[in-house]
Amino acid sequence: MIRAWTRPIVWVLVAATLLLVALSLGVDAARGTRPDLGSGFVLALVAVLLPLGVLVTLRQPANPIGWIFLGVAVTVGLGGLAGGYADYWSSGEGGSDGLGKLAAWYTSSSWIPWVLIPATFLLLLFPDGKLVSSRWRPVAWSAGIGIGLALVTGLLTPGPLEDYQQVQNPYGVDSGIIGVLTGLAFLLVMIGIFGSISSLVLRYRRGDRELREQIKWIALAGGLVAVVVPVGTATYELVGEVVANSAIELSILTLPLAAGVAILRYRLYEIDLVINRTLVYGVLTAGLGGIYAAVSLGLGVAIGSGSTLPTAAATLAVALLFRPLRANIQAAVDKRFDRARYEGLRKVEHFLGELRAGRAAPEETGRVLADALGDPRLEVLFWLPAEGVHVDATGRAVRDPAAPGRMRTPVRRGNLQLATLVHDKALGRRPNLLESVIAAAGLAIEISRLRAEVRRRLAEVEDSRARIVTAGDAERRRLERDLHDGAQQRLVSIGLALRHVQGLLPPGGEAATEVDATVTELTDAIEELRELARGVRPAGLDDGLSTALQELAARSPLRTTVEATDERFEDRVETAAYFVASEALANVIKHARATAITVSANTRNGSLVVSVRDDGIGGAAASNGSGLVGMGDRVAALGGRLRIDSTPDAGTVVTAELPCG
Amino acid sequence: MRVVIAEDQALLRAGLKRLFEDAGHDVAAGVDDADRLRAAVSEHEPDLAVVDVRMPPSFTDEGIRAAQWIRDAHPQTGVLVLSQHVESAGAVDLVSQGGFGYLLKDRVLDVAEFLDAAVRVADGGSALDPKVVASLVGRERDALEVLSDRERQVLSLMAEGLTNSGIAQRLVLTERTVEGHVRSVLMKLNLPGGEDAHRRVLAVIVYLRASSGAP
Repeated sequence: MIRAWTRPIVWVLVAATLLLVALSLGVDAARGTRPDLGSGFVLALVAVLLPLGVLVTLRQPANPIGWIFLGVAVTVGLGGLAGGYADYWSSGEGGSDGLGKLAAWYTSSSWIPWVLIPATFLLLLFPDGKLVSSRWRPVAWSAGIGIGLALVTGLLTPGPLEDYQQVQNPYGVDSGIIGVLTGLAFLLVMIGIFGSISSLVLRYRRGDRELREQIKWIALAGGLVAVVVPVGTATYELVGEVVANSAIELSILTLPLAAGVAILRYRLYEIDLVINRTLVYGVLTAGLGGIYAAVSLGLGVAIGSGSTLPTAAATLAVALLFRPLRANIQAAVDKRFDRARYEGLRKVEHFLGELRAGRAAPEETGRVLADALGDPRLEVLFWLPAEGVHVDATGRAVRDPAAPGRMRTPVRRGNLQLATLVHDKALGRRPNLLESVIAAAGLAIEISRLRAEVRRRLAEVEDSRARIVTAGDAERRRLERDLHDGAQQRLVSIGLALRHVQGLLPPGGEAATEVDATVTELTDAIEELRELARGVRPAGLDDGLSTALQELAARSPLRTTVEATDERFEDRVETAAYFVASEALANVIKHARATAITVSANTRNGSLVVSVRDDGIGGAAASNGSGLVGMGDRVAALGGRLRIDSTPDAGTVVTAELPCG
Repeated sequence: MRVVIAEDQALLRAGLKRLFEDAGHDVAAGVDDADRLRAAVSEHEPDLAVVDVRMPPSFTDEGIRAAQWIRDAHPQTGVLVLSQHVESAGAVDLVSQGGFGYLLKDRVLDVAEFLDAAVRVADGGSALDPKVVASLVGRERDALEVLSDRERQVLSLMAEGLTNSGIAQRLVLTERTVEGHVRSVLMKLNLPGGEDAHRRVLAVIVYLRASSGAP
């Protein structure tokens, strides 16, 4: 969610930082000095912090970490400009005294916010911008007050400024209380820093897999800083200022970078590989450096200095040892850090990318998991809680597979069970791999589960539609039976009784004539009843579709030819075929002004194809024969389709294809 | 003549029994399913069996199968099948064997014609319901175009099983005129002639059945 004011503020901060950096570059350019390591670090820090700050604030405006990035970028820029101007003024090249003093005064304390805020709040709030719990509020307060106090006391400490010893602090307050407050600030900041580190450790312990991956990134960068800063400081004299400072500053740059990667989840799961490589090359460098130093020093002492031999021998030793040493270290690190897990996660991530791009189907999830987990027989069974069944990706119910050597692992999201993975027992011994890959594939599993569920529901609806049609057919058959065997026979019996009565009456009399007329009425009623029953379901269907169609044609007032197979089909198929033909025929007779009709029914490719072709005026469509719409529904319910081909003046063909395999 | 009636509805069975008895015939037995019908026919060897198509247990074609059995086991017994509806391809097959009739049930209300047909079947003749004949003739419009309207009328009545005198009565024509029409029909349709009325009727039915493409 981006609130209306988020964007303007972000861009104002970016613009301010860039302006400050540009001004400090301008000051350097005006002095004609070459940019030194200090200004290079400022540039690098801004180059890392600004894009990260923009990305995080725009994506997660409520997360203070993005704002910390931007705030630090501004203070770094301001510190850089102040430092540049103070240098310019203090070297006596020019500049106003007032401004120069102010710059020097600020520069000496400018490190406080941008070093201490990341060291406390970044760790305390990482990665979601919230405290672990409200119990950590004192730590946050301690850090906040400590940093503020440190800045104030730094700015108010009397005497020469730290970075510009020749300048006296213009705003120094000569009081013992400053010293006390400085000590208090140090204490509070220390509480803030160690409290923040503890909170991060706690977060890691309690966190789920994803959170742990995120914290690992920060831990890697923190570890790097923790190693490089003391080593750099200790070897300051040995390796020289440039190397030591560069190493320290670069290691500090990895902190915001790692935080950004973790928060933005960009290549989040590659952390293991990064740690792996860092460890391998760190240990390798240290090892080779040690060997180089030992050989060159040892030989130097033995042979005496001034010879190039020790250097050559040390180089040779390093060159010879590089490959075996690297392989050994790599193997040792791989053993400690799970490579299969990294590869599995990489495959799943790749699949998710393909899925988003539409190059892969969610149904491939099972195959991808089988590949990622290295178990080709692995199956993903989706759980449908409403029905209490497991289904496969096509939505078919799967019986409980209890194959030997197989194991079942549930896949959950929150409290909801999504699926069950049926896999090799061997995988059960690597819960970390299994859990990581399942969690990474969670979304894909959920999507395929939904699709499987939709498929299943659709199949159910289709089945029930077919059942409804079949039930309707059965009902028609029952109704037809009832009309014929019940009502009609009863009427015939009554007619017979009347005839008997008629025989008892004097022939030719009024009563006999009345009875005779009544029987004639009764005969008409029976005839009507028979027509009604035929409409409900023609009894000829009992003798097959061919017979029923012949009888249909015989009753047609138009010349109607039937070409029908004598094969028998399922009752519902024959019934549907008959009613399609009957409806189409009725339409032709009513609307088409045709002279001849051909009704055909034959099997083709596992379907019964029924067609009614006429030579009438054409132009028919399903809409102007609502009976055909109903027939279309009936055909579709059996999984078939109805087609109407009609061209003006070239007749109409109504074709229904009904699966009968 | 002696009659056995197979009809599962008691009321209708009683009505049929009275119909035959009123006309002076002897109803030897009235049964309600196909098995009892077979037993009754074997026992009484009647001149005529009146058989309902649909009978227990399945109410489909028990009557037709029992009828066929009677024709095979007791050729002297004529069989008159009563049906509720026009459709029944099997019926035409049976009728074309002779000594067979197939009528809609409500035909019994036309007492005189029904009894005529019954006597004719008992004598080894045929009876085919006018509705069935109309359906057969309807399917063969093209082939029957060679006939005049009157000849088609005569053909239909022949198919119903009527003899020349029956046709003459029905159409109010002299028997001689009818004789002429019959000859003309047989000639135009290339059917065998001869003196035996029953045979000529069968020839007509066989012709209609064959050309209608019924199985």
